[in-house]
Amino acid sequence: MMDFRSLLQKEKFILLDGAMGTMLQAKGMPMGVLPETLNLTDPGWLLDIHRQYLEAGAQVIYANTFGANPYKAGDCGYSCEELVAAGVRLAKEAAGGKALAALDIGPLGQLLEPTGTLSFEDAYGAFARVVRAGAAAGADLIVIETMTDLGETRAALLAAKENSSLPVMVTMTFEENGRTFTGCSVPAMALTLTGLSADAIGINCSLGPGELLPLVEELRRWTGLPLVAKPNAGLPEPGTSRYDVSPDAFAAAMVRLAELGVQVLGGCCGTTPAYIAALREALEPVPFVREQFPVPPAVCGPSRVVTLDRVRVIGERINPTGKKRFKEALKNRELDFVLAQGLEQAAAGADILDVNVGLPEIDEKEMMVRVVKALQGVVELPLQVDSSSPAVLEAALRVCHGKAIVNSVNGNRETLEKVLPIVKKYGAAVVGLTLDHRGILKTAGERLEIARTILEAALSYGIPREDVCIDCLTLTASAEQDTVLETLKAVRMVREELGCPTVLGVSNISFGLPGREIINPAFLTLALGAGLTLPILNPNSAAMMGAVRAWNLLSGVDKDSREFVARYGQGAPSAPAPASSRPAVELDYAVEHGLRTEAAALTKALLETMAPMEIVDQKLIPPLDRAGVSFEKGEIFLPQLIQCAGAAQAAFEVIKERLAGESGGTVSKGKIVLATVQGDIHDIGKNIVKILLENYGYTVLDLGKDVPPQAVADAVRQSGAPLVGLSALMTTTLGSMERTIALLRAEGLPCRVMVGGAVLTPEYAAKIGADWYARDAKESVDIAKGVFTP
Amino acid sequence: MAVMELKSIPMDEVLRYLGAAGKDPGPLLPLAESCCRELLAAARPRWTWRAFACEETPEGLRLSCGLLLPGKDLARHLLGCREAVLMAATLSQGVDALLRRTQLSDLSRSLVLESCATAAIEEVCDRGEAVIRESYPDRSLTSRYSPGYGDLPVTLQGEFLALLDAPRRLGLCATESSILTPRKSVTAVIGIREPGAEAPPQKRGCESCSLRESCQYRRAGTTCQPKL
Repeated sequence: MMDFRSLLQKEKFILLDGAMGTMLQAKGMPMGVLPETLNLTDPGWLLDIHRQYLEAGAQVIYANTFGANPYKAGDCGYSCEELVAAGVRLAKEAAGGKALAALDIGPLGQLLEPTGTLSFEDAYGAFARVVRAGAAAGADLIVIETMTDLGETRAALLAAKENSSLPVMVTMTFEENGRTFTGCSVPAMALTLTGLSADAIGINCSLGPGELLPLVEELRRWTGLPLVAKPNAGLPEPGTSRYDVSPDAFAAAMVRLAELGVQVLGGCCGTTPAYIAALREALEPVPFVREQFPVPPAVCGPSRVVTLDRVRVIGERINPTGKKRFKEALKNRELDFVLAQGLEQAAAGADILDVNVGLPEIDEKEMMVRVVKALQGVVELPLQVDSSSPAVLEAALRVCHGKAIVNSVNGNRETLEKVLPIVKKYGAAVVGLTLDHRGILKTAGERLEIARTILEAALSYGIPREDVCIDCLTLTASAEQDTVLETLKAVRMVREELGCPTVLGVSNISFGLPGREIINPAFLTLALGAGLTLPILNPNSAAMMGAVRAWNLLSGVDKDSREFVARYGQGAPSAPAPASSRPAVELDYAVEHGLRTEAAALTKALLETMAPMEIVDQKLIPPLDRAGVSFEKGEIFLPQLIQCAGAAQAAFEVIKERLAGESGGTVSKGKIVLATVQGDIHDIGKNIVKILLENYGYTVLDLGKDVPPQAVADAVRQSGAPLVGLSALMTTTLGSMERTIALLRAEGLPCRVMVGGAVLTPEYAAKIGADWYARDAKESVDIAKGVFTP
Repeated sequence: MAVMELKSIPMDEVLRYLGAAGKDPGPLLPLAESCCRELLAAARPRWTWRAFACEETPEGLRLSCGLLLPGKDLARHLLGCREAVLMAATLSQGVDALLRRTQLSDLSRSLVLESCATAAIEEVCDRGEAVIRESYPDRSLTSRYSPGYGDLPVTLQGEFLALLDAPRRLGLCATESSILTPRKSVTAVIGIREPGAEAPPQKRGCESCSLRESCQYRRAGTTCQPKL
């Protein structure tokens, strides 16, 4: 029997088998039993099913290992390795060298972070166990199927490739709207899995073969890999769970997929050997034609694809360089602050987000992984991971679920050799800076030569031209005025001679000059005219985004000026009033009425005449107290109370920003560590407590949700916080709370603990060793006042 | 089955979850209305159900598939039933993503969205339950009873979902701590009474409310429905 990769290279269809579950149910598999245990209890059933599919014509049979993973195996009595080995051996035995036996890997049965609690790393570890067991048992190839989460799919594919040398086929499950349950789109899947070098990709389960047609049409435009289709026997009939397509109708519909270029075909739920036999017969007269489409240049997140066929804005704000408040946030691990920067840029119209968290005082790699994971939980945009360290770049790419951009390489041989293999392995695009060991060269011609060196190196690693984004480097006009036009000339030459996308950090042009807001858009427009396609800029600047939109109109990309008119024409959403104008209300009024923008502007003005602490005590706390009283009387409701808190928080943010610019200044009344305990993901209560504590001047170290006991202890030790707040909303996670408190005590940390959460009672709080039970957010503030009163 | 179209969320329920039952919601009302629209756009409700024969045993209610639903409370709730429906419903992951985003950008709004989502998943369950009731036109059915109510352990969630093939069909899973994910999801048992079996007096009270653990009324020692 030919190996799978050779089969794929032949200009012939490859026939897979049909459903396993359907066949096992027909044999009388009891409900509630993990099907993979049958590999050990009823091996004869499996041999018989495999043989029926082989007789029907299957060239590849899937071992009965779909759910044989550590999470689903649980306490079934066998280890996942035993189940996998037995399943693969049975498939091999049945195939008898005449067909290929595939290790079949399905989803783990738990959702990954951030919706679930399973980490990417743990998912990878579980898949790696399955892969090693399957490879050791002699599987001919690996199939990853029925996936709905691109993150989980990536974990499985990386585990397959890093723990075996077997070919890997990956299929995901889509709904009729072209999305998986988690929102992953067909193009995003194709770009990502092609980048990770799967051997074949496609769609399984989901729907019937007819409904798959438009999805396959789309899929083939986004990948050059061989295509797979293994649909259900139609849709399940309500009530009976029977599928509604007959073997002949199934085969006929599959022929249409084959004509679209699908090379690997089989059946999923509801199909039987009769379907596969019908399929084989129907395919006999059909010639296989491999049609290659040029895949559009693009990057993506799991649910958003951004094509690079027009100007796309890369948001630059997630970067500590020159931003004291951002540095502070990184040092204090204020993840929410960083995420808010991402949300704000997305709302302002950024297409891609640059992520740079490099700061000498912090563990950049650990922070980068945290930020990338959290960021893709709240924004859909593709990311550009930005670091000078190859190790940080690789760690970021590993957890980045899509096709990212790496920022950056340069013309130095050593850098190219270190970073480009990582770019290739994870299927990313890359930014190439036109500098090398000689530094930045003055002339456009010299920079073009470096660009050419970078491009050639990338091509030699198999990175396509359209994924190499050349940065011709913006030098500041104040210091190197004569290089500005050379930079623009270099951009033009790169576009014309190399055809690569081009990147420029635009704002750098005006560094050290007054009136930066005048120079930047002017330079941006010139650069766009010269052929810049990926400006890195601050999307919150209306002038910069305006220049991009105007360019799109003037260059004819924005057809009939539709986008421009929608943005700026009559009826367009009006721009918010400039924050610098002083509103006609007082700060305490703004807080009491939840007016955030006004509260921030008023605080800025007040800071001219009042000390920060005076503002807190005289202007922020009294209206908050009044709102608290109204809430307790039932005159306002919780969302309104939190609106006031939000306005006060906006005021605090202005004060913090001011103090970050001075040294040693603080309005903090003390540090408090907050966490939602391990296993629990309900954190809105904790977030309410957090905002109120911050309003009253405490510095909150928010560890987030699902926090392991050790992480709480470490944070308390490092910060010296004398007060810890823990929340849990489920009876099943109260144990975590108890363990966390026990660890804090065992490590002898001199902190006191307040606990809260719906299922807690004062009695239970006392029993698990907490110092206080906080009934609500207001009470946690009272507790804090007691702890921090001198 | 599977995808359910949801076009509206009962506003009085949203306001009740916000603590404004029977009061003038004032500026809360337009906020809640705008949140409902946003929630409906993000949600993609899915649900499924399946009926099993059941019998009472000393340990609890045993289903024909072998699953034991332990404890006395559910057995009491399903008195006179020889068949039980298991159902599962979810608003899907788009809602989790919306709530994550909004918690960062506007905590106050996210509170209102939470209430909209709770009202929405209850509405999905009500509509699902109505479909189930239609399938048994000449039988009387009990109200919904979920793992975590009374002495029915919440740790059942994983097995419960597996029986319904919910991870594959709905994208609905349970964590190691038996938390349903996506978060705005419900599992429940509905008993189908034998013809002629008398319905024991039942009321929709705190015991069978999915918010019973986080309810601000209950914590204040009252209920949201004065008549209970």
